Amino acid sequence: MGSIKTIKAACFCFVLVFIVLSVGFPAEAADKENCLMCHRYRFVGRIDENGKRHNYHVDEKSYNGSVHRNVPCRDCHTYITKIPHDPITEEVNCANICHIKPPFSQEKFSHQKIIDIYNGSVHAIKPEDPDEARKAKPYCKYCHLNEKYTRVSEERIAYEETLSRCLNCHQEKGVTQAYMHMTHRLRKKTTRSPQEIVQLCAKCHQDIELMKKLKVSEKALTAVETYNRTLHGKSVALGSQETADCVSCHASSVIHDIYKKDNPESTVYKDNLNQTCHHCHSKANSWFVKIAVHPSTKHEENPFIYIASIGLRFALYGSVFSLVGLMLFETYGRRKDGIKFLLRHGTSWRGKSKRQPK
Amino acid sequence: MSTSSKIYVVAGKEIAEDDDYITYVEGVGPIPRDIYKYVKSDPFGDLSRYSVHIVIQHFLIFVTFLVLTGTGLPLYFSELSWARYLISLFGGADQARLIHKIAAFVMMAASAYHIVTIVGGTLGKILKGKFDYRRTIIPRFKDLSDLYHDLKFFWGSAPYRPKMEKFMYKQKAHYLAILWGSFVLMVAGSALLFPDTIAAFFPDAMSKLLPSGVLDEGSFPSFSQNLARLMHADEAVMALIVIAFWHWLNVHLVPGRFPLQWAFLTGKITREHQIEEHFLEYLRNLQEIPEEREYMRKLLKEKGFERSQKVTLEDIPRIL
Repeated sequence: MGSIKTIKAACFCFVLVFIVLSVGFPAEAADKENCLMCHRYRFVGRIDENGKRHNYHVDEKSYNGSVHRNVPCRDCHTYITKIPHDPITEEVNCANICHIKPPFSQEKFSHQKIIDIYNGSVHAIKPEDPDEARKAKPYCKYCHLNEKYTRVSEERIAYEETLSRCLNCHQEKGVTQAYMHMTHRLRKKTTRSPQEIVQLCAKCHQDIELMKKLKVSEKALTAVETYNRTLHGKSVALGSQETADCVSCHASSVIHDIYKKDNPESTVYKDNLNQTCHHCHSKANSWFVKIAVHPSTKHEENPFIYIASIGLRFALYGSVFSLVGLMLFETYGRRKDGIKFLLRHGTSWRGKSKRQPK
Repeated sequence: MSTSSKIYVVAGKEIAEDDDYITYVEGVGPIPRDIYKYVKSDPFGDLSRYSVHIVIQHFLIFVTFLVLTGTGLPLYFSELSWARYLISLFGGADQARLIHKIAAFVMMAASAYHIVTIVGGTLGKILKGKFDYRRTIIPRFKDLSDLYHDLKFFWGSAPYRPKMEKFMYKQKAHYLAILWGSFVLMVAGSALLFPDTIAAFFPDAMSKLLPSGVLDEGSFPSFSQNLARLMHADEAVMALIVIAFWHWLNVHLVPGRFPLQWAFLTGKITREHQIEEHFLEYLRNLQEIPEEREYMRKLLKEKGFERSQKVTLEDIPRIL
């Protein structure tokens, strides 16, 4: 009897495991508070005092595909306390501590670590900044729009490359193990493409009026223009995935640690350049780093190059016009021998020569 | 000048290589300058002009040239709309970069092959005692006078085209331009491909030798790289424009050569073209090739030209 019970129990367990495995767990939004009861409707919104329309619709499918799919709404929207909601006065703060725990950690997750780094960077809002600068400087949401998980390329990349990004927020212990042994999806490149990065940075940095207001250096004023003239910029413009974009040089794998050139922590500080270039140019040395990555477009700064370019233009137009001119003159001159395009019988000026004596 | 070549005797007189209507060749007869209008020519060529090595080199160079411009031009004009389509033919920017490098190495190998052939061939000729610098591409003063003479002919003030050697002034100028251009492109291209090596190659002392005004940011590596960027791009665009608007038109597409001058595949030049533009080379061919001598003798006989060694102006209407 006992043995039959054991077999029954074993069968039951097996069926249970089978059902669980085959049904699986559908990815479900962390919507325990049922916010979507109202926000699932496509036209849920209001018209404010100024007549501006606000739409508060949340597309469940999109949200479930986003990076924040496991985060409950009120972890970010902390100012929502009652229904109907009070008028919203504040914005989402990415430094909030969420209610989800990252794997292998007892602490609740927060973006605080990366925000601290950002706060030290050149893009951070400083207390002495005037209003214009405060408005112009990008905060989290300016660049990060809770985008969907998208695969940039199907190529697998070295795990250290992706892992270094994970460790910006996650603890090294455990995550590294899990990453190396279980995660395969993240072995694919998921970072933004160089084109997106250049587009993102250029959005502000090519606005020279704005940059003048922020009192950036003379070189930084034309940074986008000069970058686009280099082989780096041109390759990226043509869709290259391997070429250096803005953050390849201006930030480490932490991405948010962008400093001014004269800050010793900066990746483009003169003592750090060698290491920065080394990521791609394995033979980079102290001579190499002197090559201008943003070559000046001003003629006064490199007059010899300017003179050489004028000389080359002269050579180009001179040779083309003189050679084509000579060819046309020759055709004119040989017309008296008769001009024939002989397709079948080949090369010939033969024909009725006008010079032939009768 | 070449008055020393005493083979050409007309009407019992020694003559210079320049503008004379009749050239008398021993064992053939008196050849009128415009005999090319009456000769029979095979469009694929009658007389040997290029060895098979040169044909292979031309093939390698022009194929790699087209690939190099196809992959390089979109980079130069990256902001224009067609650049993306052109580069996508080569599988995108990263693929195109690899193809560009491979094609560049093939072209450099072909150039090295060319140098080996030229130097080896010349040495061989010197050893056999057959070397004649007039039959080579080395520029001479005669090329300038040929150009002047030719311009006069095109203008209408000279009756016949100049008698030119195997390579005429245009070909010499073109060859030298290619020599210089490919040298610049290879050096500048290597500087772009191996920026680190090139940068390390120049000591910083170089920057102190040059005046500070000419140096971007005061360092020689930066200056040399800027110069390489400029030279590689502009020289390449110049090469493409010259090839497209001059070489193709002038060599292959003008009337008389259209649809193609097949010499680049067969290595042979048509008899007619040889006599018209490379008359002195044709005379050498007459000396070297018995069949050609026979052909010309027959032709002259047909035209009633073989009889007299003394040809006067009154004979001309009868001959033509």
